[in-house]
Amino acid sequence: MGRLLITWRLAIRDIERRRVQSALLLVMIVTTTTTLTIGLALHKVTDSPFARTRAATRGPDIVAQIIPPPSTQHGATRGFAPLIHAPGVAAVGGPYPIAFARLTTNGINVEAQAEGRDPGPAAIDQPALTAGRWISPGGVVIERGFADALGLHVGDAVHLNGRALRVVGIAVSTAQCFYPVSTPGVIWLTRRDAESLATRTQPIGYVLNLKLADPNSASAFENGNAATAFGNVTTNETETFLSSWQDTEQSDFKVVSVDQKVLLIVSTLLALLAIASIAVVVGSRMAEQTRRVGLLKAVGGTPLLVAAVLLAENLLLALAAAAVGVTLGQLVAPALTNLGNGLLGSPPTPPITASSAATVIVVAILVAACATIVPAIRGARTSTIRALNDPAHPPRRRPWLIALSARLPVPMLLAVRLVARRIRRSLLTAASITIAVTMVVAALTLEHNDQVRRQVSVIGTTTVAGRVTHLVFLLSAILIVLAALNAIFTTWATVIDAQRPTALAKALGATPGQITAGLATSQLAPGLLAACLGIPLGLALYQVAGGHVSEASPPVLWLLAVIPGTLIAVAVLTAIPARIGAGRSAADVLRSE
Amino acid sequence: MAEAAELPDRESLQGYQLRVVREVLLALLAGEASHGYQLRARLALALGPLAGALNDGQVYVTLNRLEKAGLVTSERVGQADKPDRRVYELTPAGRHQVTEWLDDTSWPKPAPAEFHLKLVAAAAAGLADPVGIVDRQRRALLGGLGQAQRAALAEPSGSVAAILLEGVVLRLQADLRWLEACARHWNAAKEG
Amino acid sequence: MDGNDSVLSARGLRKDYGSGSGLVHAVRDVSLDLSEGEAVAIVGPSGCGKSTLLYLLGGLERPTAGTLQLAGRRLEQMPEAGLARLRRHALGFVFQAFHLVDELTALENVELPALLAGASPRKARERATALLEQVGLEDRLQHLPSALSGGERQRVAIARALANGPEVVLADEPTGNLDSAATTEVLRLFDRLHNDGQTLVVVTHDERIAATADRLITMRDGAFVDETKLTGGRARSLTEITGLDA
Repeated sequence: MGRLLITWRLAIRDIERRRVQSALLLVMIVTTTTTLTIGLALHKVTDSPFARTRAATRGPDIVAQIIPPPSTQHGATRGFAPLIHAPGVAAVGGPYPIAFARLTTNGINVEAQAEGRDPGPAAIDQPALTAGRWISPGGVVIERGFADALGLHVGDAVHLNGRALRVVGIAVSTAQCFYPVSTPGVIWLTRRDAESLATRTQPIGYVLNLKLADPNSASAFENGNAATAFGNVTTNETETFLSSWQDTEQSDFKVVSVDQKVLLIVSTLLALLAIASIAVVVGSRMAEQTRRVGLLKAVGGTPLLVAAVLLAENLLLALAAAAVGVTLGQLVAPALTNLGNGLLGSPPTPPITASSAATVIVVAILVAACATIVPAIRGARTSTIRALNDPAHPPRRRPWLIALSARLPVPMLLAVRLVARRIRRSLLTAASITIAVTMVVAALTLEHNDQVRRQVSVIGTTTVAGRVTHLVFLLSAILIVLAALNAIFTTWATVIDAQRPTALAKALGATPGQITAGLATSQLAPGLLAACLGIPLGLALYQVAGGHVSEASPPVLWLLAVIPGTLIAVAVLTAIPARIGAGRSAADVLRSE
Repeated sequence: MAEAAELPDRESLQGYQLRVVREVLLALLAGEASHGYQLRARLALALGPLAGALNDGQVYVTLNRLEKAGLVTSERVGQADKPDRRVYELTPAGRHQVTEWLDDTSWPKPAPAEFHLKLVAAAAAGLADPVGIVDRQRRALLGGLGQAQRAALAEPSGSVAAILLEGVVLRLQADLRWLEACARHWNAAKEG
Repeated sequence: MDGNDSVLSARGLRKDYGSGSGLVHAVRDVSLDLSEGEAVAIVGPSGCGKSTLLYLLGGLERPTAGTLQLAGRRLEQMPEAGLARLRRHALGFVFQAFHLVDELTALENVELPALLAGASPRKARERATALLEQVGLEDRLQHLPSALSGGERQRVAIARALANGPEVVLADEPTGNLDSAATTEVLRLFDRLHNDGQTLVVVTHDERIAATADRLITMRDGAFVDETKLTGGRARSLTEITGLDA
């Protein structure tokens, strides 16, 4: 028990001592876990929203409509007889009255299809509410695509054929395609309200919902005898319509697929890059943990205790980050998964399911475990003295680099020697910046793809495309923020590692300007490497995530601009912590250690 | 500049010095019989810059006393006109004395009792500030240490004299450290 | 004391750390004049501020108040870049922890200040070789610090401090990490430098080093409490000091 306590105390004390570093690490991991969470949530979204909506609304397999000519008043529903008694029909919903009415709101005047329904839930096709409540006398529910297009919210007033009504809810349904795939847009209201909308020129029509014993036979049914018989009911210019759920799905899919593709790409990118970021962050942290292992061993810690302390510390950070990440993801994801089209982006339950939360936590635990194993093993194998005296690994000596640097101007001399002493860290920096550049390039590709799509829009309306554009923009922003954080973290770590040599250089006569320039330049070499690698990697990643680079490759000019852009960003991101670090007096660093 | 430190009592010192010279001469003779001037030269070499402490006559006086004590014998050699005619040799009794001396582990007493008592007396009688006394002594010793150190550095390292001078330096250093402790102690006593 | 021919001149130097109840006066109102070729030793208990004073004199810390003049230039207002340039030519530092660069050989360590000052690699190397010979390490030129003893490392550090021919060499506990034999090595070197006319300020615990200085200053709680001239005055014979004369 005592050992557990000590382990706990050591871990906590260590985190406390390096507050800034721990905080920075925490922020990094939180960002990546949040991103991972969102990525997972979005990924769920991209699989069969139609099927999900259909299941949630108990959507019909067959939808049939009869629109009688003006004169007919009654008996129109008799036309449904062949369908109702057709073989293979398992259940019937309706018939419901539908009226085509003029909807006026917000200065917009548009045709709408008003469907009369019962207050209680229907057995087939009960539209799923995404806001508000179900119909009541004078209270209407609007299909979501339609509502978005009209800018309507719960509580707004609308006029149908001059009749004042109030929006009490917004819902989705798979009985018909969402607006604007299918026009006119659909409104549900009470039977009485619907019937009151009948005019002389536009009489009441009827809609019937069918559930088949075998839903997959809906297409066959559509072309079968019953359907033909139904079609022949046309008399006196009565119009009939019949559609299967597969028809609806396909029409919807044309729109959704584009969104889906975007989301799939972005979510995959996010998840992959999130994991890569964590790996880099953890990798750079492992280096300094070897020294602490040495310290623990020196004060009598068994290898087990040492591993336990490291694990405790890493787990603490990782789990805290995972918890925060899942929570943040939960808050942010709904805004992103609400596609605004007429389908449910996700089940009405919270988008973060137990399984995705579990995935994030498992990833965090795995990362913590890996982060512990390597320094623990290395520490166990290295002699305690070496681990104590040589922080991380001792800097390696490369004579040719040293000789070369002597001929260079002072900032470059410092830069080359800084890189030479920690090649591994420089490579890690390069890896990290490569990831950042990959993110930026992928974001650029996404953005460009979106621009192209907006210009050649399939739908031609602004609403749907607009929402997806927002999505793309938001997610690109997240990618870039993650990239920036990544870069800041690595450059900060590099600056801290370079504290002693730079303090010494200061004491020996290097000006702060020379030192800052040296530090920044030392990052430029990995930065250049990163930029060159990151561009093709970003495009490749986009392709792997499901996009087609050929159809949406950003202009070459954009891509080329990434190189100087990266170099400038790296220089600035290094200069800031370097300048801050230069403020700390060299005397503190050099004083008897 | 502060005054030189007071020398310990001459007589007692002389006794010790004489004793040392006596044992050293016996030991040197244990290797081989020598003339008086040879012994004198070897002593001077071993003492380096401190050889000046030894006056010429002391060696011969001591040899005389040793002969009287039956620890050495001498023999007249060489020409009558040469001043130094004797060759000295150890007797068995002398040899026994040498062995005893070499095995002897007695050491000059380390307790700086006199100075300590000086401070106690000054404080008790209110005659002077002990801290002031310590400071003055410190300065004196520092001067001495400086000189001794410079002399030590001037000797070729590894020489016999160098190690002697290092001994001087380190002991003065030890004394200075003690004086610093005294200063702390008597300062605290003042404030307490 | 006339400050005009002083190499280093400080008046009323103060350094405070922290604020409010945590305010610490590390150095209080210190004034010092250093003549050319003079060796000054500063001693005092731990935490008395002697190291802080040294870093103030070297421009590695900014004084809270007071003036500091080195090689005719006023330091307290100088910008960092100017201080750095001044350090190149006017000051040499020796640290307790040596602070040699681990992955550079002795030669490469010593030539570093010259390179930083913009000298050509060849000149820097020549000077470094000469300096290392001067300190007696001519057969250790290609050794890494890890292959050198403590005394040898500090001698390399001293050679490095001399690289650009500084006006003043500032040493912070140069023998703090050394055993007695290594201390003697370093002591010998400092003595030689002093004899060659190098101006020295040494902060030390070691009485041997302190005793060989021209002036000994004792610090306590951030202020000078005692100053002793060690050279000049009556030179006593060695035998008198050691009490061997009879």
